[in-house]
Amino acid sequence: MTPSRVEHVTCLGCGCGCDDITVTVNEGRIVDASPICPIGRTWFGDGQVPSNVLRSGSPASLDEALAEAAALLVRARGRCLVYLGTDISSQAQRLALGIADLLRAGVDSATSDTAAAGLLAAQRRGRAGATLGEIRNRGDALLFWGVDPTERYPRFLSRYALEPVGTHVPQGRAGRFVISVSIGADKGPTPADLTWQLDPKEEITAISLMRASVLGHSLPKSAPQLARAVEVSTRLSQARYVVVVHDGEPTAERRDPLRVEGLIALTQALNQPTRAALSSLRGGGNRSGAEAVLTWQSGYPFAVDYSRGYPRYTPGERGLERLAAGGFQAALFVGSPMEESFAPKAFSAVSTIAIGPRASQARFQTRVAVDTGVAGIHEAGTAYRMDEVPLPLRPPLSGTRSAAETLRALTDAIRAELERSGS
Amino acid sequence: VSGPSQLRIRGGTVHDPANHIDGEIREICVENGRIVASLPDGVPSLDARGMIVMPGGVDIHAHFASSSCNHARRLLPEEHAADPASAPDAGNGWTPRSGSGGTVPSTFTTGYRYAGLGYTTAFDAAVAPLLARHSHSELEDTPCVDGGIFVLMGNDEYLLRQVAAGERERARDYAAWLIGSTGAYAIKIVNPGGVEAWKSGQRNVSGLDDAVAGSRVTPRAILETLADAGNQMGLPHPVHIHCNNLGMPGNAAVTLATMQALAGRRAHFTHVQFHSYGGPGWSSGARPVIEYVNAHPEASVDVGQVMFGPATTITADSPVEYLLHKSSGRKWVNIDIELETGCGIVPLVYKDKAAVSALQWAVGLELFLLSSDPWRVVLSTDHPNGGSFLSYPALIQLLMDRSVREEKLKQVNPKLLAGSPLTDGLPREYTLNEIAIITRAGPARLLGLKQKGHLGPGADADITIYGRDADIAKMFATPRYVIKSGVVVVEEGQLRRAPPGRRLWLRPGYDDAVLPDLQRHFDSYGTVSFENFPVQGIADDPVPSSP
Repeated sequence: MTPSRVEHVTCLGCGCGCDDITVTVNEGRIVDASPICPIGRTWFGDGQVPSNVLRSGSPASLDEALAEAAALLVRARGRCLVYLGTDISSQAQRLALGIADLLRAGVDSATSDTAAAGLLAAQRRGRAGATLGEIRNRGDALLFWGVDPTERYPRFLSRYALEPVGTHVPQGRAGRFVISVSIGADKGPTPADLTWQLDPKEEITAISLMRASVLGHSLPKSAPQLARAVEVSTRLSQARYVVVVHDGEPTAERRDPLRVEGLIALTQALNQPTRAALSSLRGGGNRSGAEAVLTWQSGYPFAVDYSRGYPRYTPGERGLERLAAGGFQAALFVGSPMEESFAPKAFSAVSTIAIGPRASQARFQTRVAVDTGVAGIHEAGTAYRMDEVPLPLRPPLSGTRSAAETLRALTDAIRAELERSGS
Repeated sequence: VSGPSQLRIRGGTVHDPANHIDGEIREICVENGRIVASLPDGVPSLDARGMIVMPGGVDIHAHFASSSCNHARRLLPEEHAADPASAPDAGNGWTPRSGSGGTVPSTFTTGYRYAGLGYTTAFDAAVAPLLARHSHSELEDTPCVDGGIFVLMGNDEYLLRQVAAGERERARDYAAWLIGSTGAYAIKIVNPGGVEAWKSGQRNVSGLDDAVAGSRVTPRAILETLADAGNQMGLPHPVHIHCNNLGMPGNAAVTLATMQALAGRRAHFTHVQFHSYGGPGWSSGARPVIEYVNAHPEASVDVGQVMFGPATTITADSPVEYLLHKSSGRKWVNIDIELETGCGIVPLVYKDKAAVSALQWAVGLELFLLSSDPWRVVLSTDHPNGGSFLSYPALIQLLMDRSVREEKLKQVNPKLLAGSPLTDGLPREYTLNEIAIITRAGPARLLGLKQKGHLGPGADADITIYGRDADIAKMFATPRYVIKSGVVVVEEGQLRRAPPGRRLWLRPGYDDAVLPDLQRHFDSYGTVSFENFPVQGIADDPVPSSP
């Protein structure tokens, strides 16, 4: 068989959303993807996924499995969790939320606690941001705050932040001043035009001082770190377009939750002397899409509870925490259950329905598991980049069960069950 | 979702100004989603005796389905918590959705609330091309209203390069390509050149002949290029313009200069209330603006009335939002959108005791009351910028009832109202027929929607039926029946069905020669592949272009 090629494929391996990938397929397997980074290579793999339908661990027909799932979920109506995992399209996320609304469920998602802290801070203050292309086209001073994107967002620097030529940065890398700040073990990138090592204990003070300096307040002379803060903020204020880059996802160093609020406030303040945007690096698998869909359907970006028949915001207690505390009787896990962070014991303790890529391989016990394709590899639709730019998915493979279709069928089964039970 | 395929609406008093029907008792016949001239005996009927029958409302300018709106929703958990929206009562095989309200409701709630208001068509007036895919997803989750999006132009890098080079034909081809690629219905210009100025450190432009970011491009050249492009393409709705200097004292001068620059060209000027202030201090500039419009049949406007109460300002005019943030101290979102435009958001409250709010309120009413042709002056609040669309009934009451208006005028801060025409006592009271024009017939005509805004045979069966009530605001806030494409959506004041809306979008022709150059531009500066940029899979076919 001759290999076939699919161009302009979008990778969801991290939040960069590179959509320039050419994927080569031979005999139903992915044999090449290019240009590709290590994360993307792992994410695409050879494109093989299981296609099981399991009921209490044994093979079942899809109709039987969905009927059982519907019966379990309807019985737990008002006391179930819908979890939006990764690697499903926004079309599937929308359907899953429709189910959550029907079931009066709690909703949790792959939004990490550090990302959640950023969302909450932005709800208090707003934020100054930009799409990734503005970083490319305008950023002439880049402040990396405790992050080197190379490892976890491998093409961020080459596609967006550092190397490319931009409309207002015609020299590319040479036209950009890079400030690399390391916070304890969270290292900034090297090489840089200016480096700064901060003790985590000094971090929040340093951000506050920078903001004061940016806003034109004169600061009394004190510790050397303060002098560095003034130096950095002066350098930033003199740039045309500052981009502050930080990691929205958890890192090695335990993070002060005030970091993100401080960076939001600093970036907003930088818009007084110049222009500035905060870039929050986010993981892949369309987790930003879950936040977008949750927001347009419920009004809130994460931690939503439909138990009263309308969405309520419950950021103080995430769904997984409530699951672990015994607060739910059943769970619908939608997406890929492969991440380390999922509480296997908590999902095993209730009647869990898993629908998504590799659902049958979940490390928690399932009452029903339905394997589907991976959004972007087998399934079309839309997924969101870390900057909330929606991208089309061009799946290079086909033939797997669709997550969206499965959720549509489950919705019908739940409706039928609700009618039967008269609720 | 289904309803009877045939329906006779009997005994209602019909206001259908497009067909010169002003309060006559008439039958309206509906078959397969359209209005027909007659129906055989024995078909289902709806008793509308004593009620008022109008075409469904048409919102020519609102912000309800866009990435920017979603940023605003995310910013406002406190509003959503205060206005939970349970799912309407189910029935008829329909599974309703819950959501949340406030000034920027969730999508399903937006659709239900538009229907509950008797509006069946609405356009989101500001969508960044890069984020059009997002808008189409939101629209799929916004039932009950037909409509679509206006695509933002006038600060986009590719266009500015064509304007700088004097390549007007290429600019037109690009505009045509962009409309089709984003599934848009019209070209929207926001603060021409000003958003690019903000992004490039110039902060803003203020006059039509200011150089944009050090280039040879001026707001005037952008406006002329796009107005001509729209008119040469034969777009059903001409360029939809948000002028420079929004919200600034004295901005009526630049608004008039913009109108004069485009004299003789069809153009729609949006939310002119925000652009009709005298200067150098704050005063009303409504009279010269509306008098210009009265005298120029090629120009149309929507008002963008400010209503007292909470609002959320959401605009691509990001430099204005920065100033609003600095002056109000309220939280502020700014998103720069690569190669195209911007987005700024600041929540606000318009207070009747605040002098500037009171002036804005008065200026909007003056524009309505001093206009001579209701067909070219559309009711809008620039939802949610001047107030929610839910405040339209209260606005209608202010227009129809002088005593209510004057009572309110006594309560507002008079500081900046000296010399305002409203304080001289404008006696005009809008008639029901004029309300039907400014809320349906007029906007439908200005949008070039031949099947909307009227009740003649062949029109879409979008019909709103009001119970008469001495309280005008209450009457318009609670229609008894709303019919959308022949489906009875609201029955006895209750939402009973929520059919999906139909997408209204265009695919104008263009010279393919523009594509290789565009592709080079994407390859050089974009971050999304040229091939992945166009929105695919819009459920409805594009509206056929009329010759």
